[in-house]
Amino acid sequence: MVNTASNHPIEIESVSLDRAGRPVLHEVSARFARGGVTAIVGPSGAGKTSLLRCINRLEEPDGGRVLLDGEDIRSLDPTELRKRVGMIFQTPVLFEGGVRANLAYGLDGVPDHEVASALESAGLSASFLERESPALSVGQAQRVCIARALVRSPEALILDEPTSALDLKATARIEELLVSLAHNGLTIIVVTHDLPQARRIATEALLLDEGRVVAAGTPDEVAANWPGGAA
Amino acid sequence: MTDASVIGVLLSLILVAVAFAVSMRFRLKLESDLAIATVRAIVQLSVVALVITFVFDHELLAIGVVLLMLGAASWTSARRLKGIPRGPQLATLAIASGAIVGLVVVFGTGVFDLEPRFVIPIAGMLIGNCMTAVSVAGVRVKEELTDKTLEVEARLALGVRARDALTPYIRRATTTALIPIIDTTKTVGLITLPGAFTGMLLGGATPAQAARVQLIVLFMLLGAVAIAGMTTTLLVTRMFVGPGERIVIPTER
Repeated sequence: MVNTASNHPIEIESVSLDRAGRPVLHEVSARFARGGVTAIVGPSGAGKTSLLRCINRLEEPDGGRVLLDGEDIRSLDPTELRKRVGMIFQTPVLFEGGVRANLAYGLDGVPDHEVASALESAGLSASFLERESPALSVGQAQRVCIARALVRSPEALILDEPTSALDLKATARIEELLVSLAHNGLTIIVVTHDLPQARRIATEALLLDEGRVVAAGTPDEVAANWPGGAA
Repeated sequence: MTDASVIGVLLSLILVAVAFAVSMRFRLKLESDLAIATVRAIVQLSVVALVITFVFDHELLAIGVVLLMLGAASWTSARRLKGIPRGPQLATLAIASGAIVGLVVVFGTGVFDLEPRFVIPIAGMLIGNCMTAVSVAGVRVKEELTDKTLEVEARLALGVRARDALTPYIRRATTTALIPIIDTTKTVGLITLPGAFTGMLLGGATPAQAARVQLIVLFMLLGAVAIAGMTTTLLVTRMFVGPGERIVIPTER
């Protein structure tokens, strides 16, 4: 049954994933709130990125299912799913051409004002449209990547360590941006190994270790369960 | 006409020794490859010379020789495509697709007579050039997709279909495979005198006859190589696409 009014548009039910015979995720279940930032935290190799990739089908779980607005994502066209759930990678990836070409990539006849509006939502002025990709700082490039996802009017953004390549100032700007996008009604899921960052921006957190959910709750509650002692 | 003696062939090995020396001096580690290539060339051409005299008079045997050429070319290209599922079948299909189109055009239109003495060298040229194109295109597209998985996934994550996300890499690999034959065609007569032209001159044909045949050969090869290169990149990229518009890197076997 489709439940479009849910406060938790993304739900993960008992998702398991094996890679080369090794379990990466073991029956992970979680719900992600609309209008909030949820941090997926945990030590390296905990399965955080793999879980994120299962949400937009860049990875196919071996068991369990992922629901978007109550619908199993396997019943959706993957291209539509990925427009509804935009993904931002650890390293900003810009394609050939300038900022404008990147924002319009894969879209037919997207109006200029929509492209400029997405850029502004990502905290960059419309003048950036004329910039060439190599002229951007890493922080600006990451914002262009966020804008590129926003042009597609997503319901959710999933981000894999989006600030790990950035300096403190650029990190603070991206963090502000994510909180503001959540306030505007987007479901934001951020993978981070940085618990202080989770505390700064997330309303909820999910702690993974060795492919299992160890704790879920507020970032402070989750911190108390950090493997090897409180972080 | 020049009569190449066995002593002449032996003397030409001096140049192989030069290649050996370069490899050793610059530690290219190509000595064993050079040795294998030299021995294979001597053995293969000697056998071919013996066989071909006989085959020219037997049409069915000519078909066998062409199939043997295809098999050897496919095996060579398949080794370059190691790690790609169904690499041998893929290489055979890609080489055969280019070669068959070339053969059908030149023999179907009556440019050359359908006789073993034409079929074997023409098929050899087609298969050889297609083999190179398949190896180059296959290796290039495999490297592109393996090295740029993140870039491809960034495209897919924007809701682009896998075939569209892969288009830039298919284009680059196909272009790389076509560059040698395009450059050869562009510079024909200016930098090198190509094989068919030289062979015909050495065989006693007039330069005008040799030029006409060479043009036919070049245009035939252009088409065949384009088909083989494109077929390769399309087939290889299919091996990298998983269900749900995903990129899947085949595991080395």
